[in-house]
Amino acid sequence: MSDFSLEEMLRRDPRNEWIARNRLHPLHDTVLSAEQGERRGPSGLLRKDPHLVGFIGPNGIKRIDRADVFSSVGAELAGKKRSTEAKAVSLPWHIVENPAGYIMVVADMVGGRLTRHDKDILGLAHQLATEKAAVAVVLVCFGESKETQFDLAGVDRLIHLAGQEFNGFAPEARLAALEQIETQFYPDYWLFPDSVNGGADLASRLAARLGERPATQAWQVNGTQTLCRGASSSVDIRRATPRILMLLEECADAIDSTRHQALPLQIKPLAALKKSNGSSKMLDRGMIDVDASAVPLAEAEFILSAGNGIHNWNQFHAAAAALGATEGASRVAVDDGFMPRERQVGASGTWVTARVYLAVGISGAIQHMQGIGQCDKVVAINTDAGCDMVKRADLAVIADSDAVLAELTKLANAFMASKQQTSSKQGEKSDAA
Amino acid sequence: MMLDWLVPTLISVLLVLASIGAVRRINLWRAGQAEKVNMLAGLLAMPKRYLHDLHHVVDRDKYISRTHVVTGGGFVLAMVLVVCVHLFGVDSKILAWALLAALVMMFCGALFVYKRRINPPSRLSKGPWMRLPKSLLTFSITFFVLTLPAVGVLPEGFGGWLLTLVLSVLILMSLSEMLFGMTWGGPMKHAFAGALHLAFHRRPERFGGGRSTGLKPVDFGVGVSAKEVHGVAKPTDFKWNQLLGFDACVQCGRCEAVCPAFAAGQPLNPKKLIQDMVVGFAGGTDENYAGNPYPGIDLGHAKGEPNQIITDGLIHPDTLWSCTTCRACVEECPMMIEHVDAIVDMRRFLTLEKGETPNKGAQVLENIIATDNPNGYAPASRTHWAADQNLPVMKDVKQADVLFWVSDGAFDMRSQRILRAFVKLMKAANVDAAILGDEELDSGDVARRLGDDATFQSLAKRNLATLSTYQFNKIVTTDPHAFHCLKNEYGDFGSDALQNVEVLHHTMFLNRLVKDGLLQLEPFKGGKVTYHDPCYLGRYNGEYEAPRELLASLGIDVAEMERSKFRSRCCGGGGGAPITDIPGERRIADMRMEDVVSTGASMVAVGCQQCTAMLEGVVEPRPVVRDIAEILVGQLVEATSISVKEEVVHE
Amino acid sequence: MPPNINVVSLVSIGRHPQSGRARRAEQDGRAVELGLTMVGEALTVLHAGNPQNPVLRQYAGMGLPSLTVLDQASSCDAVSVLLRYLRKNPTDIVLTGVRAERGESSGMLPYLLAEQLGWPLVPKVAEIVSVQDGKADVLLALPRGQRRSVQVSLPFIATIDNAAPEARQSAFGPGSRALFSIQKGDNLADDAFMEWKISPAKPRPKRLKVVKAKTAADRMKAATAKPVGGGGKIMKQESPEEKAQAIFDLLLEEKVIR
Repeated sequence: MSDFSLEEMLRRDPRNEWIARNRLHPLHDTVLSAEQGERRGPSGLLRKDPHLVGFIGPNGIKRIDRADVFSSVGAELAGKKRSTEAKAVSLPWHIVENPAGYIMVVADMVGGRLTRHDKDILGLAHQLATEKAAVAVVLVCFGESKETQFDLAGVDRLIHLAGQEFNGFAPEARLAALEQIETQFYPDYWLFPDSVNGGADLASRLAARLGERPATQAWQVNGTQTLCRGASSSVDIRRATPRILMLLEECADAIDSTRHQALPLQIKPLAALKKSNGSSKMLDRGMIDVDASAVPLAEAEFILSAGNGIHNWNQFHAAAAALGATEGASRVAVDDGFMPRERQVGASGTWVTARVYLAVGISGAIQHMQGIGQCDKVVAINTDAGCDMVKRADLAVIADSDAVLAELTKLANAFMASKQQTSSKQGEKSDAA
Repeated sequence: MMLDWLVPTLISVLLVLASIGAVRRINLWRAGQAEKVNMLAGLLAMPKRYLHDLHHVVDRDKYISRTHVVTGGGFVLAMVLVVCVHLFGVDSKILAWALLAALVMMFCGALFVYKRRINPPSRLSKGPWMRLPKSLLTFSITFFVLTLPAVGVLPEGFGGWLLTLVLSVLILMSLSEMLFGMTWGGPMKHAFAGALHLAFHRRPERFGGGRSTGLKPVDFGVGVSAKEVHGVAKPTDFKWNQLLGFDACVQCGRCEAVCPAFAAGQPLNPKKLIQDMVVGFAGGTDENYAGNPYPGIDLGHAKGEPNQIITDGLIHPDTLWSCTTCRACVEECPMMIEHVDAIVDMRRFLTLEKGETPNKGAQVLENIIATDNPNGYAPASRTHWAADQNLPVMKDVKQADVLFWVSDGAFDMRSQRILRAFVKLMKAANVDAAILGDEELDSGDVARRLGDDATFQSLAKRNLATLSTYQFNKIVTTDPHAFHCLKNEYGDFGSDALQNVEVLHHTMFLNRLVKDGLLQLEPFKGGKVTYHDPCYLGRYNGEYEAPRELLASLGIDVAEMERSKFRSRCCGGGGGAPITDIPGERRIADMRMEDVVSTGASMVAVGCQQCTAMLEGVVEPRPVVRDIAEILVGQLVEATSISVKEEVVHE
Repeated sequence: MPPNINVVSLVSIGRHPQSGRARRAEQDGRAVELGLTMVGEALTVLHAGNPQNPVLRQYAGMGLPSLTVLDQASSCDAVSVLLRYLRKNPTDIVLTGVRAERGESSGMLPYLLAEQLGWPLVPKVAEIVSVQDGKADVLLALPRGQRRSVQVSLPFIATIDNAAPEARQSAFGPGSRALFSIQKGDNLADDAFMEWKISPAKPRPKRLKVVKAKTAADRMKAATAKPVGGGGKIMKQESPEEKAQAIFDLLLEEKVIR
């Protein structure tokens, strides 16, 4: 990384500066307009000429657009670029040389990357670490890792257990590894995400094994006290902070202003694991292919939903299959017998939580809108631009459903085909290697 | 002469057989559960009930009522005289002439019965019923000929042995139908069972213009051992007079013709249901049933025994869950049979004992138990709709003239518009009204119609306990279902909370306000308007006029639908039908909307949030659906603008 | 499926999320449902707590002829008494919810039982596919409707996820007639729990979008600017291809097409 490039060096032109200060100079205007955008004062500070900012509004009065509403896109892009550059340059190091204690963060690493939840917990670990001197935050992760930014997420030390035996559903092996870490490092805290991705499960196993009473659904933690949710999130429990914590999302802010060493830590070979491996009582048989259309509506993350505006039902089912979407329906489509009752979305059907809800030919009765209230993104395909669904949608397409669905199916099929090609190519490459 | 002894013998043998049959039949009914009936009063009241109440219902079809009077009256008279003249041999020309006259009358009637049967409407049962006019004719002709010698028109012993033989056969045939068949399950059974049914009816209040529509509560109280089954599982679990009532059915199919579920192709036919009940307590199969089947279910597979569980082979549960409890069948039944009672009794078994309320039923009941409303909303959010309404809450004011019963519409955004409209009208009329706020619970209507009487009773008792702590003169509600529960069903729980309290539907209450001149309304200038009678306001409570008068006060000339008032067709929203959601060929609401469209109206006025929801669920384009309160609010002349005008005038 | 295995479903008193009233717990109900579909009326349903609690009748209403209750105060720790019961009575499969709806809701109970008994624990089970030769095939519920197949040897403990089949309707009649076999429980008070301070849940603050702006104007903008637009994008005149492409791009961006 070149921290110091020639381009970024500040070069000053004393003559131009002098002309710019002197409003009576004949070249004053040209110099100013040439330097518009960025001018630096004698100390190198950025200077703005108040006479040049702003524009003349429609009624002839000068307006200064400090919120920058009107030139949003371009300016935003530029701003982003600038800030990322700056970050890459200026993030200070956070270095723990000879740790006197450890805080273990066992990450979910869904898809091999740190989740937002994981990062929040790393942030919390650093809050806890500041209460004592020279405490290192250690990330424990299992299986394959695609994460490249451990250093920016606040990982001081890294225990990466990449062995085959930790892949998939392997609570016994993982627990054995954690036990080994416990005896070897005796960490100050064990932090887990209280998540459905395995964090809560592993934490509970460790707590039961170590005989510690963990804090679950913790969301406010410091070195002495912890605030946990209890009784199905209806009460807060204030208690002394235990050694093992299962933490909710947003329990702390993620690390974003320091860089960390992410040095690998070695653990001793796992004797216990070897022993139990042969007689494992649980055997992972792998993931089951789940038909997207069989996923219960309430769980589905992408729903293609049909209403009264659908005429070609075969095409609709084909589109859902091509897009890998779970099928939903409005009440009318169900009443008319085109879709089974358990596919009905809405107040009188199922309340859905999909990330993307693609509503085709649904005008949006109030009961239906209630049912999709928790969806992140709503896309509408409808012929009526004035209907409620279009008003609610993040993207609305005013068209007959037939044509758009046909195009979507084509696009999805093409996308899948191209993906298969690339993956098979990759397969060949890796075989060759 | 052979006839001299043959006729009395035949008559007496058949009379004896008929008596045996009657005892047998009575024993079948007695297998049912005990129910206290004032026998003597019932029997004494029976003729009047028959001649007045029953005839009143039959008279909706003039043709058949006249036919029935002539035929039935003729037969009863003739039969009595036959016994006198031919059995006891009373030798009186006057009696004989009277008998002849009765027989002629009966003959004329039977001719019309015959004519009706030439090309009968599909609702009528065929089979043995097609035989009946012939039997009636045979009876009248045979005994006419037999009686001729008694008046001396024909000499004794006329016609010789051939005629004697023919007459004997005819006597046997006609008396078998008229006497033997009466108690052994022939079409004439309706006369025997019907007469007793009228005498021992479970709801004697219905006679003489009264109304009795509230369901009878399940007894969970003291004396019910833990082993007892709640609801009706087997035919013998019905009360004995319910069984008797089933036997009274004449299979005229008027119920079938008005049943919304039948019309929608859902597997329910009230006539077949009653006949299946008969099959159940008498034992046998439905092979001999000669009417329309349940839509989508073939005949001949239903088997029943008095002690067999009804839903195991006799009736499919879907049949019971198709009913919207709209009471159209009960209203239309000339025999005053209580179909809805029977259906809910059987639903009670399915829900309370088997836990088999279909589709959303289980969830809705669970919600009602846990949150006191069917959709499981937080009980503390019941009054959120009224946050901006500035309504006094009973807890604070303790007393008010009017208690506004909000009902579960409080949670539904569409119904809230009706509630707000009504509140605005009350404010415009300066009504001293208060609500219960979060203290109000679901009225229990849905739980009760879904068969969960335990939950209904729990809600009713808790609601009554709340009500008894406050002082008010009237309860007004915009929900006819709650109105019905409060008015007709809460009385069974021994609370005096509603004593001296007038329970009103909002249309009735608003009508009073308008009549008292408390509401300034300007005439409605929209298009054509029709009115849909909610079942629970109309048939259940007999209120047909108040909503119409309200509309008339706006200058609206209601374009009546073909089926209106007591014949109004259900919207499909009652009895938990939208919850149990039994598939049919069409939706009941769509059919009702077609009724609306056929009047050419551009707006349909309703008085029920459930009807509003059902009718608005019909795919557009369709006429707009408005509650009467909403229509009134649109025409309200605001008091403020009047006072402003006045001020201007003063200045 | 062999009916000669002993299945125990552990049930607790639930809490309705809206009204806070006691109810049949969602996941425990599913545990009973799963047990009933596996072995029918041979299922043992076990509760440690107050046998007078009316909610137990709601479980019984699912068609249980009887219910076993280990009688102890509801504030007491259930682990030791359950352990004793499970050690004494032959058991092959223990089914329970993932987390209780009352109390600490830590979800630790099955783990503690499994640890003490030395049995394997399968978390978040959606379905028990088969039980054969001392082994069971189970499906674990993963987020977004995904499933993982796991083979586990008997005896084991399974926690039942919300993805498992819904509990059947509870009927009033059988519920009120079911017999309770009441055994004495422990009265080991949960001292640690007593020391904790319990208060109604405070709403959690929503995380603000922290803008690390360099200039005052940027900070001002972040604090005051309304999200531009608000309503979504509407496409009217474009060709069907363009419209479909726009939708497809959004799907890709949201990573629902993979």
